Amino acid sequence: MSEQTPQLHLAYGPHVRRGRTTTEVMWLVNLALLPALLWAVFVFGWQAFAITLSAVAGCVVAEYIACRVTRTPVTVGDGSVVCTGILLAYTLPPGMPLWMPFIGGALGVFFAKSVFGGLGYNLFNVALIGRAIMMATFPVAMTTAWLEPRYQDLGSAIDALTGATPLAAMKDTPAGVAPDAFAGVPQDMDMWLSFLLGLRPGCIGEVSVALIALGAAFLLWHRIIKLYIPLSVIAGAAVMAVFSDLPLIYLLSGGLWLGAFFMATDYVTSPATARGQIVFGLGIGLLTGIIRNWGGYPEGICYAILLMNMLVPALDEWFPPKRVAPESGAPS
Amino acid sequence: MGILSWLGPAERTFSRGGIHPLEYKELSADCAIEAFTPNSVTVPVSQALGRPAVPTVEKKAKVRRGDVIARVPDDGLCIHATVSGIVKNVGRAPHPVLVTDTAITILAKADEAEPEFPANEDWHRLDREGMLEKLKQGGVVGLGGAAFPTYRKLTLPQDVSVDTLLINGSECEPYLTCDYRLMLEEAEKVVLGAWAIAKIIGVKRCLIGVEDNKPQAAQALRDAIAASKPSELSPAVDIEVLMTETKYPQGAERQLIEALTGRVVPRRGLPMHVGVVVQNVATAYACLEAIRHDKPVIDRIITVSGLGVRQPKNLRVPIGTSVADVLAHCGGMQTEVIKVLSGGPMMGRTLGDLEVPVVKGTSGLLFLTRGETDLERYQPCISCGECLNVCPLGLEPNRVSQYVENGRPLETEPFGSMDCFECGCCAYVCPSNRPLVQFMQVAKTAVRSRAARLGK
Repeated sequence: MSEQTPQLHLAYGPHVRRGRTTTEVMWLVNLALLPALLWAVFVFGWQAFAITLSAVAGCVVAEYIACRVTRTPVTVGDGSVVCTGILLAYTLPPGMPLWMPFIGGALGVFFAKSVFGGLGYNLFNVALIGRAIMMATFPVAMTTAWLEPRYQDLGSAIDALTGATPLAAMKDTPAGVAPDAFAGVPQDMDMWLSFLLGLRPGCIGEVSVALIALGAAFLLWHRIIKLYIPLSVIAGAAVMAVFSDLPLIYLLSGGLWLGAFFMATDYVTSPATARGQIVFGLGIGLLTGIIRNWGGYPEGICYAILLMNMLVPALDEWFPPKRVAPESGAPS
Repeated sequence: MGILSWLGPAERTFSRGGIHPLEYKELSADCAIEAFTPNSVTVPVSQALGRPAVPTVEKKAKVRRGDVIARVPDDGLCIHATVSGIVKNVGRAPHPVLVTDTAITILAKADEAEPEFPANEDWHRLDREGMLEKLKQGGVVGLGGAAFPTYRKLTLPQDVSVDTLLINGSECEPYLTCDYRLMLEEAEKVVLGAWAIAKIIGVKRCLIGVEDNKPQAAQALRDAIAASKPSELSPAVDIEVLMTETKYPQGAERQLIEALTGRVVPRRGLPMHVGVVVQNVATAYACLEAIRHDKPVIDRIITVSGLGVRQPKNLRVPIGTSVADVLAHCGGMQTEVIKVLSGGPMMGRTLGDLEVPVVKGTSGLLFLTRGETDLERYQPCISCGECLNVCPLGLEPNRVSQYVENGRPLETEPFGSMDCFECGCCAYVCPSNRPLVQFMQVAKTAVRSRAARLGK
């Protein structure tokens, strides 16, 4: 041959790939989280956006430093650490000081991800470890910095909320006495509808169940998540909702949907098979209910997910995929 | 697929996993099989599973196409001259799998009269032993890629009973179209070859599996069955063409058996343990050529394709033709080629040297550019579980890879490392680009070498 022979590479098969990378998956998840952020800016103001930026910055900085210190490739661009920052911010009250999410994000990434070896090696959901650290470090801000959502008079200044979130209010009400209204929730609308839309006080990214479902539908459409985990989380919580005087509101409150669709479904910290995922999800739902109903905190999804994260290696062991072929049967 | 199955009757396929890679078959599907003879061939002595053959000719010997030039000792499986001419050399030469191997180089002489291999009129009266002997003399091996000697595969032990012959026309690897062209252009020989195999193993039923992306091939086979009437030969064999879903690895033995018969081969079993023998369409064709025409396996039909080759083709070339000669005949390659493959893109091997010859097991030569294949680094497992979803056997490639990465390949058997047949579905879908098949290989090698050390 007269022409120059190209450099030929030797490699093991297969030599074609579906071509969806981890990086693409992570950025699609970030895209799916966007509607909830837009809503947060709409009802809580630019403060919500600033908190999100701060949390993302904290996570990115910690990841960058960890990669440089350990002399491993800098993985900031793979979208995963940005996703962690967004998810952490979504679990924070919109009225908190801007420096706190930065600290929480950085500590979460360091303790839950970097020290375990980075992406793929962490045992616990990184964003939720960040939140747990913040609950211990900034307990007052984490439990009181609520804002009243704006919905009618958009020109008005945002007021700090004097009352509590609906879940906290329900917790403080004696059993058998269903509250007929919550602070910061519109009185002229069906209560379940305002909860579905996100017209209620709460954490930045959790309030609008409808927009979380929209993002989740996007991920389902792209086959990035499956329904086993989210549905069993909600089913588990629904069992515990029978102890509540307002079961529907109970299910639409707090971070249940955000946690079920975006946090419990984290690949690294959830089981790999359908059967394992169902057990995992049910466990999260039930634990969430136990903490909500009888625990010290109004919301339990964060700790429920972290507790079930610990069971993931065992669930993978207990629920392996079913083999197609029987063990033997061959005469030999 | 999940939703589709509610809408209509389920397509015939295997029960678990599988993938739908881009087919790229359109590059070469409409290219009729074209014969090409190079100026010289290099025929390796190792072309079948088992021991290598020993050359029976010496340098400067004059050979005719079809002459025996090497034979496996004791066993008798033959290797033949694939062109007529002079033996130029007997010595080490490149080999697509073994890197180098003893090979016989023959310089073709254009003025030699080529043998014609006419049909024997009484071929179908030949008994089972006579047919098996012709397969052995003709050097027939499985042409689907495994290159297992066919006479051995068809010599069944006394204690198994087989009731069905499956002929594999799935051709589930992307790019490859040589089996498709063969079914289209030589359907009658495929059908009669299937009949001969059925006679050898003594079954009355034969199913030919064709993926539903090749309806013309299926029609050609049905027409050939109607024309050649294998049910009126003695013994009568009922041959039927069944369409399967186009899904990789539909053409893998276990998957095809499940799709066509619903039988599941046990983990440590063979197809014959569920009453089935599987042969590729090209092998059926080769069997007929050996039995009816006394023509040994001296040619092979290959697909030359990929975006990196100027003129994709389906070629009939003598065994021993070098990749470089094939490439020159197909107009050369683009400079963007980064991988040259022997076989399909899922299970094929990369070639580093274009002097390697086409052997009996070569189904295609692919010239892949950067856009079609990749050289990416791989990342840690993120436990997405995609490999578990697509594995047709229900194995756990993710865990095998993690154990191997952590230096514990001997502990991977519970996750199925020893059952893996390396179809590559897991690595195809892995978002972290992990070389999962290679991890499986490492695990298998470690387990086998320990077993060898322990003297098992």
